[in-house]
Amino acid sequence: MTPLNRKLWRELRQNAGAMVAVVVIAAFGAGSYVGMGSAQRILEASQAAYYRDYRFADFWIDVKKVPLTTVERLAERDGIAALQARIVFDVILDLPAQTRPINGRLISFPERRDDTTLNDLYLIRGSGFSTDRDEEVIISDAFARQHDLHPGDRIHLILNRRREAFTVAGTCVSPEYVYLVRGAGDLIPDPEHFGVLYIKERFARDVLDFQDAANNIVGRYTDISAAQRTALLDDIERRLEPFGVFDAIQRERQASHRFLSDEINGLRVSARVTPVVFLAVAAMALSVLLRRLVERQRITIGTLKAVGYSNAVLFNHYVRFGLFVGLLGGLAGCLVGLGLCHALIDVYRDFYHFPRYLMRTYPDLMLHGILISLAFAVLGALRGARRVLKLQPAESMRAKPPEKGKAILLERWQWLWRRLDFKTHLALRDVFRNKGRTLSGIVATALAGSIMIMTFSFFDAALYMVAFQFEHTMRGNATIGMRDARNTEALQEGRALPAVLFAEPTFGIVCDLRHGRFSRRQAIVGLTEDHLLTMPRHQDLTPINIPAEGLLLSEKLASLLQVEPGDTLELKPIRGRPEPRSAYVAGTVDSFIGLDCYASLSYLSDVVGEPASVTGIQALIDDHQRPAFFEQIKQLPNAQALSLNRDAQQSIEGTFVRSLRFSLGTMILFAGVIGCGSLINLATVEIGDRTREISTLRVLGYQPTEIAGIYLRQNAILFGLGLILAVPMGYGLVLLLARAYDTELFRMPVIFRWTAVAWPLLISCCFIVIAQWVVYYKIRRLDWLAGVQVKE
Amino acid sequence: MITTTTAPIRIENASRIFQMGDLEVPALVDANLEVEQGEFVVILGPSGSGKSTLLNLIGGLDRPTAGHVWFQERDLTALSDEDLTRYRRESVGFVFQFYNLVPTLTALENVQVATELVQEPLDAAAALELVGLAERAAHFPAQLSGGEQQRVSIARALAKRPDVLLADEPTGALDLQTARVVLGTMQQLNREQALTIVLITHNPALAALADRRVQITSGRIVDVVRNEAPAAAADIDW
Ligand SMILES: Nc1ncnc2c1ncn2[C@@H]1O[C@H](COP(=O)(O)OP(=O)(O)OP(=O)(O)O)[C@@H](O)[C@H]1O
Ligand SMILES: [Mg+2]
Repeated sequence: MTPLNRKLWRELRQNAGAMVAVVVIAAFGAGSYVGMGSAQRILEASQAAYYRDYRFADFWIDVKKVPLTTVERLAERDGIAALQARIVFDVILDLPAQTRPINGRLISFPERRDDTTLNDLYLIRGSGFSTDRDEEVIISDAFARQHDLHPGDRIHLILNRRREAFTVAGTCVSPEYVYLVRGAGDLIPDPEHFGVLYIKERFARDVLDFQDAANNIVGRYTDISAAQRTALLDDIERRLEPFGVFDAIQRERQASHRFLSDEINGLRVSARVTPVVFLAVAAMALSVLLRRLVERQRITIGTLKAVGYSNAVLFNHYVRFGLFVGLLGGLAGCLVGLGLCHALIDVYRDFYHFPRYLMRTYPDLMLHGILISLAFAVLGALRGARRVLKLQPAESMRAKPPEKGKAILLERWQWLWRRLDFKTHLALRDVFRNKGRTLSGIVATALAGSIMIMTFSFFDAALYMVAFQFEHTMRGNATIGMRDARNTEALQEGRALPAVLFAEPTFGIVCDLRHGRFSRRQAIVGLTEDHLLTMPRHQDLTPINIPAEGLLLSEKLASLLQVEPGDTLELKPIRGRPEPRSAYVAGTVDSFIGLDCYASLSYLSDVVGEPASVTGIQALIDDHQRPAFFEQIKQLPNAQALSLNRDAQQSIEGTFVRSLRFSLGTMILFAGVIGCGSLINLATVEIGDRTREISTLRVLGYQPTEIAGIYLRQNAILFGLGLILAVPMGYGLVLLLARAYDTELFRMPVIFRWTAVAWPLLISCCFIVIAQWVVYYKIRRLDWLAGVQVKE
Repeated sequence: MITTTTAPIRIENASRIFQMGDLEVPALVDANLEVEQGEFVVILGPSGSGKSTLLNLIGGLDRPTAGHVWFQERDLTALSDEDLTRYRRESVGFVFQFYNLVPTLTALENVQVATELVQEPLDAAAALELVGLAERAAHFPAQLSGGEQQRVSIARALAKRPDVLLADEPTGALDLQTARVVLGTMQQLNREQALTIVLITHNPALAALADRRVQITSGRIVDVVRNEAPAAAADIDW
């Protein structure tokens, strides 16, 4: 080893505390890159393999009833690789252990699946359909686990007014329900209240009166372009018009696929942004560290230059600190990344169901992780070591110019200054004199604080979003989905149910809305003019009454269609495809989940040219009479779904809290690493600089705790200023996040509560305590007897 | 000068052996010394002879590996780290060769660093006055000469009203002229306030100031000489 390298090595060890702090920050940077990147690739690979091997469909069409012969003819068309006709029904289930009815989606599935079956099932437990019995059912595995159902168990379904007993033949996952939701309106899978049930195709036809017919078509395209796909689906839709098309969607709009793809995309963005934050902080900390090191070693550097070391060699020597930190950070980052990836995938396992997660390590990601960690660290080192080049041997070999003793601005305010003790004087002067150091401390703490503020606000926003939907917009406590009933008999039935205190009908119809070149397929919900139980609102909760005429659009929908109140839309119901009609926009409302479009029942039935029917009932039920209500609703022939808004809200909140707790934990850890790491680094550098002073104070009789008090004051000042800055920064991040999450599926309201600031403040205090503890430990361990005698 | 009460500082058979791996460095061997109240003791010896080691034992900065150090009936060797620290803050004033002032504190504030530590300190400004630097109170160390800085450091030591003032080469970094002023200040304090002073130096000329001169060579106290007529600081020369 050359003497310079030996010097490097010893100094790395001498500055171990600060170095470790920087390495940890860098490791989290590289680690978040490797971890999030790996998790993203694992999700992507698992998704791709699953879709391919289990033949995930490219499009879905819901129709009222279409003859199989028609479907067979469509299958012949160019561009169609495979087409399958299915029967899909939403039903209310009667599970023995559950008093409340559960929503199920019944899907017909071939008795003997083969290598062409689309949306094929992967059996987790059980052996699948047998040949002996017709009444068999394969159920979603998550649903089965939630309800403790096992192969061989019996459950009851009400099909076509007949109560039938089924045997569970297996539990499964399907590419169609990787994310087990009914539709895009469900934010989060709720396997306690929703499951998919597959029954034998032939049996389904018999019992549901679909002889030689189907109500759902799924298909795959051959290798054709996106434009051709759109045209083809449009054309198929047109041909199916006589059979009553409810909806036709491409894969991009399929709920499970959308949620999964959004997650993958989100992860991809996080895997780029998070490392940059960490590594920038690490580079900043390293630059401060090196600047001080160079400053402290100016005599050495001058001497070495005088002896004949070149600028390049010396500069290189200091930059090696960066190489070392970057390399170590990168390597440690690989480990952090593996841990993070596994933790993420463990969380994903609860939400996204694949037959298998294709776990892999990605050496290229690790290599990149190490490289970016190196790059940032070297950048930081370059900045920090710049002064090496400027030092002139003659000048720097003379003893260090005495430290500038100059009054800081605050001292002008003598009245205050005199009331402060010398520890505060010291702390304040150091803070104001070392601007670079102070700035980097403030930036790091502001970053740490704002990350936490953002996370806590995210939490608040998520809960607000759910409350807005389930408490303020849907004000009843039960929503009953009805099979399209052409008369008001359904409403009467609903009202007559026990426990129903109040009930209101809704009429939903899917239409194509068009405004210029913007168009959207959207369900329009008709409400009675005196509606009470469905109450659209503005974000500030002002209720908005349905106008007698015109449509009420959610802001997001209005912006997608580029319309404003007063504009006219072209509206075309899908069913029957009558001539397009025009409807005008009467106003906009806020909504955070999905897209909404409301109209009054009479206006809507006018515009779509058919009498209003009842597709849903919003009801207020008496909680004490729930059991009786549940008993009856299971028997109600037209009821196909029941959601209990309070239950749904609680279950979504529960899941939110659970999954957000993970992000919250991660974010606090991240913030802690950034905050504590930077503070420890700064304080360690400072202690290194001030060895002589600290030693003198120790000799004079100061206890380590009292000296640590000086650094506590400094850290408190940095933290205080940092946190003050963190509030607007956090607010900015909240706005950014709200913009980032502004999708059709859901939007994040901007919520900024005092608690979201108070918690980070409290947690930051813990960070100070941790940093302070390290400082105290270092001061305690300082060899002050040696320190007091060194000559500058 | 010997009084009936026991001397405030007593060193009994004290040794300090540094363990450097396998090597033992006997920095101080079997030293015995008593320092009387109000005495001005100069410890003289070549570099590496163990002067600082001895002073560190007296000042409670270090403990002997054998023997005892007594301070007013208290055995310093038996004290915990905390108690030693308390001893230093209450009883000892230090003056260092390189002043060891805090560069970011003014002269006055540097003295306040000491006054904060004790119950009944001298007024910081008064301490500066004693060393003749009242009008430089608001200056930072960088704005003071070496001698002035050393006087601030003496003021800092004095302000605590210590029982004993320990000075390790206080004039080591000063020219003769300045050294005279600094030593004069110390002598004056010794005479007017009966402050006990232990000063170490390798400069034999300073021995003339002392009531007693302790010669130390290779870790052993080889000679103790009483000086009945100490010279005035202004007459010192080298
Ligand atoms: N911490 C230590 N570890 C090892 N050896 C030490 C230590 N401190 C002092 N020594 C050794 O003890 C001996 C006496 O040292 P000391 O510092 O007391 O000498 P000194 O008389 O004060 O010299 P100087 O006039 O140069 O300050 C020296 O040989 C020194 O090397
Ligand atoms: Mg010495």
